[in-house]
Amino acid sequence: MSALLEVENLRVEIATRDGVAPVIDDLSFTLDEGETMSFVGESGCGKSMTALAIMGLLPEKVGRVASGKILFNAEDLTQADDVRMREIRGNDISMIFQEPMTSLNPVYTIGEQIAEVLRRHQNLSTQQAWAKATELLDAVRIPNPKARVNDYPHQMSGGQRQRVMIAIALACEPKILIADEPTTALDVTVQAQIFDLLRDLGRDTGTAIILITHDMGAVAEMAERMIVMYAGRKAEEGPVDQVIDHPRHPYTKGLISCVPHLMATLTDERPELTEVRGIVPSLKEFGRDACLFASRCDSVTDKCRTHRPEEVEFKNKQRSACWFAESI
Amino acid sequence: MNEEHLLRVNNLTVRFPVKRQGGGLFGKSYLYAVDDISFEIKKGETLAIVGESGSGKTTAALAVARLVAAHEGRVELDGEDFLTLEDAALRKARAKVQFIFQDPYSSLNPRLRAEAIVREPLKSLTQTSKDEMSAIIDRLFEAVGLRPEQQQLFPHQFSGGQRQRIGIARALSTQPELIICDEPVSALDVAVQAQILNLLRKLQQDFGLTYLFISHDLGVVQHMCDTIAVMYMGKIVEYADRLSLFNNPQHPYTKALLSAVPSVDKKRRAQAKRVLIPGDPPDPINPPEGCRFANRCPIAEPNCSKSQPPLRDLSDGHKVACHLV
Repeated sequence: MSALLEVENLRVEIATRDGVAPVIDDLSFTLDEGETMSFVGESGCGKSMTALAIMGLLPEKVGRVASGKILFNAEDLTQADDVRMREIRGNDISMIFQEPMTSLNPVYTIGEQIAEVLRRHQNLSTQQAWAKATELLDAVRIPNPKARVNDYPHQMSGGQRQRVMIAIALACEPKILIADEPTTALDVTVQAQIFDLLRDLGRDTGTAIILITHDMGAVAEMAERMIVMYAGRKAEEGPVDQVIDHPRHPYTKGLISCVPHLMATLTDERPELTEVRGIVPSLKEFGRDACLFASRCDSVTDKCRTHRPEEVEFKNKQRSACWFAESI
Repeated sequence: MNEEHLLRVNNLTVRFPVKRQGGGLFGKSYLYAVDDISFEIKKGETLAIVGESGSGKTTAALAVARLVAAHEGRVELDGEDFLTLEDAALRKARAKVQFIFQDPYSSLNPRLRAEAIVREPLKSLTQTSKDEMSAIIDRLFEAVGLRPEQQQLFPHQFSGGQRQRIGIARALSTQPELIICDEPVSALDVAVQAQILNLLRKLQQDFGLTYLFISHDLGVVQHMCDTIAVMYMGKIVEYADRLSLFNNPQHPYTKALLSAVPSVDKKRRAQAKRVLIPGDPPDPINPPEGCRFANRCPIAEPNCSKSQPPLRDLSDGHKVACHLV
């Protein structure tokens, strides 16, 4: 059986003042039906770009898919025209964004905004769409949905707005939901509510979820598989528990140990946090035939600076793009 | 006055006037952003105020630094009543209290060079000669891990982490005793957060600094702080040292807050009973009569909505404001 989504050797280029930079560089991965996968990394590493490429929403005239394939149910989305992409977006693949404050249109009621998707994609009548919108609000656990459906976005809290976004995204029961930092702007107790909701809805509808985040805790809690991105490239991939237990790439290791985590029992010990020194290289550096993490890596060698590491796969399905993955 | 306490805050209240119909005789009513809170910090230690947005933690910090006016209460710094000081005495005291802000992008003047940004508090709060200032600035840049030649650059030429280092250097310039850190790393990338947190801890040791640390990130708080005050809707609901709070939380809100933090630790995930609290906090302009958490509390009883629970000492300074604990 082939996967629901297969990304093959994807290369996305962005035009900058200094020329063309590959913000996604030779990325391959698969996503199965109903699976939850997570993309992790710092800002500027290509997590959101991957999402936009899948959605066909790369910034016009600035970014483009230079090579590679994005196969959704065996159909190559990089070749699909605008009309076809509009059919897919919101219907088969939908997305929720980081900022629930700015993703909703302030001058329409939330009912209208949910109903619009249903009318557009499912050809429901106005009444049917409205009734379904109310149902969806109920499904995302907004209390008193019959009344709230007439509310405007400003009448809702941040968490409620993100629920509305989820209702819109799930209105057509998509095969894939891309959640780009869905809880970063929210409080932690609200984040827990949203994660709970996403987990339950994913299970009930069989929707596969791509969760983009920088929070390893969120990954551990939500996802089955994860991909660590660095400077437009896949640094590591594998089942979440295994990657967190035993990362095979120094960047993953750094990402995990640089954050003070809440552990089962707190002790008096508070060791210094492991730093990942420096910052993500500038776009000029992207695409070089070298390990782009070399400038921040403690165990760097000459080979790292002159040759891009090949991906190695381990028996447990973990993959790492580091010359020394075996010995980590 | 206990000698070892650098900061003592008693019954601090901050309120903002809000326009609202039917709000008393003159149509005026108030939002109590900080409502009668008290805490103290020992010299060289770190107290964290944690809470979600709107809990009043930032307002409390601003009031301690006199960046917003307190309506009531007393802030004692080194035994001095900080809120009543004026003129020269105030300037002298202000040099002892400095602030590190959340957003390193908007808290630095874009038209000043890094060196001038750090010089500013020295000029306005201290009487330091020009040569001395330059020597101090050189030392500060080194202490926060910036290179000497970077003194002449403008904020936009720095990364987020470096900007926060400038903000820290500025806060250190007047040799303060208390530094208020308002979410100092939440605008930074995770890998950069570690650099700044390590720096803050090193500076604390090197200079014997006392921190008032405002954060919503309990992982960071756990790592940085000795004592924690949990705020909910303007009130402190729990107050305890680090180990008691994290290993033995008592207030239902603290329990929910802690259980909501996603963790990489398998053991923690297995043992943590997720306490999901439904809904949102009530309207802060018309706070409920009784316990402010009652409408979301998983263990609330009818009595909870009748009167406000006082913050009382359970044992060894572990304080909780809950009728049922």
